[in-house]
Amino acid sequence: MKNTSAVAVRKGVLTAIILIFLQLINMTAALGAMLEKMITSAKSVKSVSPLFYGVIVALVAFFIAFSFIRSLYRPGKPKPTPLYCLGESLVIGLVSGVLIAALNALISTLNANGVKIRTYLDMMAPDAIKTAAFGREIPVMIGIYLALTIAGALLGGLIAWIIKSTGQPANAWAALQRAIAENHTIRFIRRNKIVRILVIIAILIFVFALPFILSPYGISILGLVLIYAVLGLGLNLIVGLSGQLVFGFVAFYAIGAYTFALLTAPKPLGLEFSFPIAFLVALAISGLSGVIVGLPIMNLRGDYLAIVTLGFAEIIRSLVNSNLLADFTGGPQGIKDIGQPRQPGFIESLIGKPMPENIYFLYVIMIFFAVTLYIVYRLQYSRVGRSWEAMREDETVAQACGVATSYYKVLAVIIGAVIAGAAGALYASRNTYIGPGDFVFMVSVNSLAVIVVGGMGSIPGALIGAFIIKGVPELLRDLENYRMVVFGVLLIAMMIIRPEGLLPIRRKKIYAEPDKDLEILKKELKP
Amino acid sequence: MYFQIQDLNVYYRAIHALQGISLTVNKGEIVALIGGNGAGKSSTLNSISGVVDITSGSITYQDENITGRATDQIVRKGLVQVPEGRHIFPKMTVQENLEMGAFLKNDKAQIQRDMERVFDLFPRMKERRNQPGGTLSGGEQQMLAIGRGLMGDPDLMLLDEPSMGLSPILVEQIFDIIVDINSQGTSILLVEQNAQMALAVADRGYVLETGEIVLTGSGLDLLNDPKVRAAYLGGDSDASESGSGAYYF
Ligand SMILES: Nc1ncnc2c1ncn2[C@@H]1O[C@H](COP(=O)(O)OP(=O)(O)OP(=O)(O)O)[C@@H](O)[C@H]1O
Ligand SMILES: [Mg+2]
Repeated sequence: MKNTSAVAVRKGVLTAIILIFLQLINMTAALGAMLEKMITSAKSVKSVSPLFYGVIVALVAFFIAFSFIRSLYRPGKPKPTPLYCLGESLVIGLVSGVLIAALNALISTLNANGVKIRTYLDMMAPDAIKTAAFGREIPVMIGIYLALTIAGALLGGLIAWIIKSTGQPANAWAALQRAIAENHTIRFIRRNKIVRILVIIAILIFVFALPFILSPYGISILGLVLIYAVLGLGLNLIVGLSGQLVFGFVAFYAIGAYTFALLTAPKPLGLEFSFPIAFLVALAISGLSGVIVGLPIMNLRGDYLAIVTLGFAEIIRSLVNSNLLADFTGGPQGIKDIGQPRQPGFIESLIGKPMPENIYFLYVIMIFFAVTLYIVYRLQYSRVGRSWEAMREDETVAQACGVATSYYKVLAVIIGAVIAGAAGALYASRNTYIGPGDFVFMVSVNSLAVIVVGGMGSIPGALIGAFIIKGVPELLRDLENYRMVVFGVLLIAMMIIRPEGLLPIRRKKIYAEPDKDLEILKKELKP
Repeated sequence: MYFQIQDLNVYYRAIHALQGISLTVNKGEIVALIGGNGAGKSSTLNSISGVVDITSGSITYQDENITGRATDQIVRKGLVQVPEGRHIFPKMTVQENLEMGAFLKNDKAQIQRDMERVFDLFPRMKERRNQPGGTLSGGEQQMLAIGRGLMGDPDLMLLDEPSMGLSPILVEQIFDIIVDINSQGTSILLVEQNAQMALAVADRGYVLETGEIVLTGSGLDLLNDPKVRAAYLGGDSDASESGSGAYYF
């Protein structure tokens, strides 16, 4: 017991360190403001109210105490008593409260004595110091901090104890899944064909109405997310399914985009092809680049493709960025006035006026996404998909089974490249402007992140991943400077909680019945 | 000649792993290829199945020169290798693993029959057919690997150390099954460390030493050969009768 108390003190210090860190980068206030905005639905919050500032402080203590008490429940160890849990939580709250209050007492005193804190601590402007002190005198402030951390920690410990001791599954996700599986309505929907079709139709109607519901900002974000989802689907096919690593996926994306742009823009080539023709050529050229990259590595084992694509991406980027080739590629200035698909006449006759450009284009992207989804889905569950999977799991055996591994390796690269090229062409057409800056290494990293976060080899995962990598940072815009910090923390947390990605690939799971198997095993083991 | 290797040479960069070996397999035979670690047994099988590039020499199978052909072409002709070391697809279920073995087959009914045959030979696989291959025990994985080879409906099967790491009872079972497979019409080229067992079931055998064939003869002759006994069967004159002990290289 003594041991764990020492741990509780350490957890208290940890809580204080987190609180101090958050305060010093002024993130407590930013998080508080975000919370305030959500709850009071105010348009903008200039300075956070003490209430929400305090809630954030208490929340930190809450989570630390919660996870600490939860961790006390380990198989083989005696269950802690509720009093003990509360005691430990109290220690956490007390220690962290004293430390954070001490820091703020110090800062406030120095500030009152005319020391310019800001010269040492960048974010600690007089206003921020006042906010952190809840606008009160030092003794009152110390009391508030102690009350907050202790209340937060006690509540965290209490809830952890309740969850653990009432035998509720601690894993809310698992509980949710079980609830869904056992829910009669959902089961009914799953079983009943007509209902299922109706549900699908309802979803389709919703999806089709989406571009009209969303704000222009939402439309632009959704378009970008879907383009990244297409990109993710293509990369998924190479990395997730065929098991070859690709570091420079942006190369194919760039080739698709540039081919399309050069064919449709008035400058520098002045070809001005129509959308469908330019799009098809873009697909062909990016497929061809897939062949060029794929052929040299087809007989090699190991992660050569990763290096080859990385180099290829750099070559492409330097080419389009070069001043020498500016007459052909637009150079560093990029290409503008890229062509857009023309709206078919029936839309105008149907709704009386042409659809707004951005809404129409979102539909175009949605259709391409759906088509890619269909193609990838069919591929994954075909003979080709099977051989990719076999190759990924064990190349030697795949070969021994008669899979022509070299052929299937290149095939994966080509199809992936074509899909990336399609995404690139769409991106170019949607933006009507592209430049070398759109095709930096970060795009490759992001597309890898899409499939890692979503789940390697998983098709719905690519969509979720794209939403998280491209959509969530936009939703987090309120956090301004802390956006990327929070995003990074979210990603790390996600990889810890669900290391296989959010929607990992599902295999048919019809395990043998353990009881029956055991009987057979027992029989066989009898001499 | 059903299957013949002539003067096969294989180099791995500077290493001359196979130094002009020749061997034959007649239709319906079990032929054992024995030798110490690094003798070149796996290299021989890998060059037959096209996994390893051959420097010189020729391989003929069913009156056709298959030297340098791609693996899938060779598998298509019914020459199937079961690689060394329990290679299976760990995330695929047992059944999917077996289906992969029939990758080049199109006849659904035939695949179904082959599957039944594998399940007859390895009842355990039937119980576990919906379990991921990676969750099987080591011995079960070896059975699965052999079963997957059988799904290719082989005419000539190349088995690379099927008894590796198995308990004595399971070793006996595996060899019984090999004999079973052979009696159903599949010729077998068997690479083994367990010379005792391999030579006991083989019609003929070859002894490989550092890339060269040093001895050949019928299984029984080799079992009783003093040099083989000394080198591979522990030198004990009545080792063949005791049925246990240090038969391993
Ligand atoms: N891919 C390779 N690259 C380089 N050398 C290799 C390669 N494969 C095998 N060798 C070498 O060739 C020789 C023969 O290897 P091989 O695997 O054929 O032996 P083996 O008879 O199967 O041995 P074991 O019974 O231990 O499996 C060894 O010296 C080995 O180190
Ligand atoms: Mg070997």
